[in-house]
Amino acid sequence: MKFSKVRYMQKERDPLNLGSLPAVPPPSDGWPAVRAELEKSHNRKRLLRYAGSALAIAATVVLALGVIIRQPAPEAVPAALPGATQVTAQTPDGTQKTLDSLVALSQQLENRVRTIRADVGGMPTHSLVYQVELEDLIAQVDERLSMNPDSLELWSHRVNLLLDLSRLYENQLRRDYRRMASL
Amino acid sequence: MATTPFDIELDEMTLARARRGDMEACEQIFRLFQQPAFSVAFRVCQCRETAQEITQEAFITALRKLKQFRGDSPFWGWLRRVVVNHAISSIRKGPKSDPVEFQDHHGRSESASERVGMSMDLESALAVLGAEDRAIVWLHDVEGYNHGEIAELFGKTESFSKTRLSRARKKLRSMLDGAGDVPYVSEAAAR
Repeated sequence: MKFSKVRYMQKERDPLNLGSLPAVPPPSDGWPAVRAELEKSHNRKRLLRYAGSALAIAATVVLALGVIIRQPAPEAVPAALPGATQVTAQTPDGTQKTLDSLVALSQQLENRVRTIRADVGGMPTHSLVYQVELEDLIAQVDERLSMNPDSLELWSHRVNLLLDLSRLYENQLRRDYRRMASL
Repeated sequence: MATTPFDIELDEMTLARARRGDMEACEQIFRLFQQPAFSVAFRVCQCRETAQEITQEAFITALRKLKQFRGDSPFWGWLRRVVVNHAISSIRKGPKSDPVEFQDHHGRSESASERVGMSMDLESALAVLGAEDRAIVWLHDVEGYNHGEIAELFGKTESFSKTRLSRARKKLRSMLDGAGDVPYVSEAAAR
């Protein structure tokens, strides 16, 4: 009874019995062509990813350089101050300049982060976790800097962390803006 | 019991590996579904060369977008949609010559050889139909698409699909009536 009902439904659906036509085998193996195309697109994706990272690094360097160049030249330290003379005497000229630039850059970024943070609304959880991690790392660097204030490595680490933090806030700000614009 | 491509089992591990871009897993999927995919493409466009191109393009698209397959329905249903989309867009691009080669795809028994005659009649009748009519009748009658889905594929209305289906069936019937006895058709006429 059930079988005849199914058969009747089949006839209704396919009155010419086209479904009885056999499956057609492909004339040749298509896999090599498909594989070649897939590999090409995988390579393209990988290349794009590398290009993206390279671009991001280049942008960071340009940003950092831009800030350093715009930075006013440090005021001449009066030679009469014995402490100041000592510091310059201890570090070579180039290193001292880089250190000054990094400190200035770090201050600028800190100001920037403070300004953007005031404007940013609620963050998604994953961004919030990242923000807390970054702030923790900055606090750790600050602690180490209090013991070793002239460490170029620590200052550049601090600048990088602040750059990441400001980028995080900027992205959130952009998302907020887009959401507002769509309303 | 007849098996359909919907019965082909694709395990989660292979799927996950293919999603990560593992070529071996991709090949496994290709080997499992190449024949049904080619078959659908061929039935729609009726040209082996074009069907082969459609199958390859469909697999490239599907394997690239495998992350979009959620896994809550049979894989063949998803893949078939990709194949059909490619086939329809190939029909839209323009008519190609339809060199139809008839081959004996059946078994060797006597009853099977009787069916060969019938199949070839259907094959030749299908080949004579216009590309759109053939696609509509095949998608509706064999693949189980409804008029709404067909209309969406062609970017037309449901009545377009209904009209074309009825016209295509009528054409096929008239061709088959002259060509010989086809079960179902004669049964339907007797009712």
